[in-house]
Amino acid sequence: MRRWKTAAALLVAATVMAACSGQRPVENPQASTARGATGPTQGGRLVYGLSADGNGFNPITDQFAVQSYSMTTPIIEPLVSVDAGGDWKPYLAESLTPNETYDEWTIKVRSGISFSDGTALTGEIVKSNLEAQKASPLTAAALAPVTAIELADPMTVRVQLRQPWVAFPYQLSAQIGMIVPPSSLADPKAASLKPVGTGPFIFKEYVPDNRMVVTRNPGYWRKGLPYLDEIEFRILPDSQTRAQTLESGGIDAMGTNRDEDVTKFGALKDAYTVHRAEGMSVAEYVFLLNTAAAPLDDVRVRRALAHALDRDTIIKTLRGGLNEPADGPWSKDSEWYVDGGYPGYDLAKATALVQEVEAAKGPIRFETISTPDPNTMQLVELCQDMWRKAGIEVSIRQADQADLINRALTGDFRATVWTSFSAADPDGEYNALHQAFSRPLGEISLNPTRLKDKELSDALDAGRITPDEAARKEAYATVQRRLRDQMPILFIDHLNTGSVIAKSKVRGIGEHTLPDGEKGRPLTGSPIPYHPFAQVWVTER
Amino acid sequence: MIILHRLVRLVVVLLVVTFLSYALLNLLPGDPVTQILGMSATEESREQLRRELGLDQPLVVRYLDWLGGLLTGDFGESYITRMSVGAELAERLPVTLELLIAAEIVALGLAVPLGVAAARRAGRGLDQALTALSFALLSTPVFVLGVLLILIFAVTWNVLPATGWTSLSVDLGWNLTSVILPAVTLGCGQLAVYARLLRTDLIATLQEDYIVLARARGLSPRRIMWRHALRPSAISLITAIGLNMGALIGGTVIIETLFGLPGIGRLIVDSIFSRDYLTVQGGVVLISVGYVVVNFAVDVVYAAVDPRIRRA
Repeated sequence: MRRWKTAAALLVAATVMAACSGQRPVENPQASTARGATGPTQGGRLVYGLSADGNGFNPITDQFAVQSYSMTTPIIEPLVSVDAGGDWKPYLAESLTPNETYDEWTIKVRSGISFSDGTALTGEIVKSNLEAQKASPLTAAALAPVTAIELADPMTVRVQLRQPWVAFPYQLSAQIGMIVPPSSLADPKAASLKPVGTGPFIFKEYVPDNRMVVTRNPGYWRKGLPYLDEIEFRILPDSQTRAQTLESGGIDAMGTNRDEDVTKFGALKDAYTVHRAEGMSVAEYVFLLNTAAAPLDDVRVRRALAHALDRDTIIKTLRGGLNEPADGPWSKDSEWYVDGGYPGYDLAKATALVQEVEAAKGPIRFETISTPDPNTMQLVELCQDMWRKAGIEVSIRQADQADLINRALTGDFRATVWTSFSAADPDGEYNALHQAFSRPLGEISLNPTRLKDKELSDALDAGRITPDEAARKEAYATVQRRLRDQMPILFIDHLNTGSVIAKSKVRGIGEHTLPDGEKGRPLTGSPIPYHPFAQVWVTER
Repeated sequence: MIILHRLVRLVVVLLVVTFLSYALLNLLPGDPVTQILGMSATEESREQLRRELGLDQPLVVRYLDWLGGLLTGDFGESYITRMSVGAELAERLPVTLELLIAAEIVALGLAVPLGVAAARRAGRGLDQALTALSFALLSTPVFVLGVLLILIFAVTWNVLPATGWTSLSVDLGWNLTSVILPAVTLGCGQLAVYARLLRTDLIATLQEDYIVLARARGLSPRRIMWRHALRPSAISLITAIGLNMGALIGGTVIIETLFGLPGIGRLIVDSIFSRDYLTVQGGVVLISVGYVVVNFAVDVVYAAVDPRIRRA
């Protein structure tokens, strides 16, 4: 009996030790074949750490966060992509051509592309996808200007709009433009769990909250791609243990937005590469202010709040000094950014405004919403202290994400922390800022600050309808000026610590070219960015 | 008769717990529609989805509807993932179950020898050292302990994976390596409680007349300890195992998040945040049944361990 127990114990110990000494098991490993000493290497496997799981992978029925894009874009591709300069470029589409008035777009579909299930990509399939998106409660609001989708010929789709829309192709660079085969349209539930597309990888395995594995698509339409044989996306929600897993070699790359990761791994240049989000990809950390409810319906109070905030101190104290202070929805390295006019830190001005308001209306008191995580609470408490010094009493209500979004939509808030503004084109913020989407308190308002500003809305309209680049820039300059004047949003900082950190053996992150040869946008999305995987490869080291 | 009595109690517990959890969850602001559609959907779209999901029905109607399904073995369908809740729970149950069992093995496997050693040398150096260790473990939050263990065993020594999970059916060796750190982290808190309980009860038992008699008859200290003192001293320990099961299940939430394990704790917490009522309900049923079953097993073990209870 004792001998049996000893043998069993030894067997278990040996199994554990054997496992400890090797790599996590991989099914059907394939031999790597070097294409050249300096260039990309074909083959290999990448293990990639993500901060959260997706809520399904069907672009028509499931809301995509950045982690959904990371897991889905290797499989399902969009009609349009964005280049390094921020301009839209055709991807599955061969071309997108507007009519003279920009209220009709003709989408010509690239020929010779098949889905991984063997179905050829056609205009009819693109039309069905766009119709499904138009009918989906998830995306219907974004496609509200679309009045008709027609098949012009077997490979051409015509989209009719009720108004000119020069930035329409940008809509097709994200979830709305991702094309799935008819089988996925027929069975959306299955498509949520087992995505099928035209992409460089094919779905292999998905274990919710654990991992998704995709393998090389041998029939991929972009010849020579992808380089990797397999990618395993590992869901690791805790940011600290995710970083420790990267250090221990359990994963090869990860997304993060912790400034300590950027600092720590950035210092280890031989072992890791740090790719930080830039330009329009960078989201902004803000307080949304409810302009339809007292006391924040008074612009003087909103400006006093801005004057009381020392953003440099906030960044130095809580962001490791890495972020840039924000004074508008677009970061300073974006082509759309214009300088000036934001009510900067000036405690005397803040106090004077507060006294002026209090003389007429009494003490200024309101409640702000914060998510309960410690980092957010620290920031809100620091702001609370700064506002108190200006004479504004702010209490804090903790609310989880679902509650917070619900309150923002229905107007049941005075101020709330928020992260936003990472669309590829300024037109992506149209609904959130335009007065047409502002509704009375209690009703769902896609413009959560409920600011009704004609000048701002006219500028947003101009940016949407005018094809002239200079005129668009002027329109969005007006948007920034009006936001700084009316202050429906308190801008804190640009979240440019959103990064992808990889071991130095992982190459090609953020260095991809588009089908027609242009350099693609390196990183997309916030707070943790994503990127294409077709041109990522691993070296021996 | 005892089993029937327990079954009735289980049904009552389930009804109370599931209704309360359902009602409390529905009292939380926000609903799954916001989670499914996000910020950009219109009021009309939201109302349409609310109707489709049956969320426009009164709470009691929805609860009874869910209960009716449960009686036929149907846990319903997740609002968020649209997967069958039963299938989701079945997929995640083995992970949490293995974690719980492994944590108990770690806790008991260390607590019993440590408790016995401390009781034999009560008041001496070893006992004081174990007391200090127990308090240190009790006062260390599991997330701190977890990060520390990862730093030592995964980052510095590289002998165990920091995070991740390999299913038992895929690879036994990797499964065991992936459960070691989470199980040790979860088990350490229990270890301290169990060792302290056992030590105290053993010290009391060792003062009993029958132990003095055994010593007088010349039985070896080891035989007295393991054959005559340990069993009657284990009653409090066994009770604690049953009662602590709830705390242990609560601890799995943190451990599963920290180590990236796809278990039931993480599913329930994520579902609470996304207002996925039916998934939460399914998890609550499972945990309630598990808790009652474990405590029933504890009652059975009492009788096996102590003949006095059996005869009573």
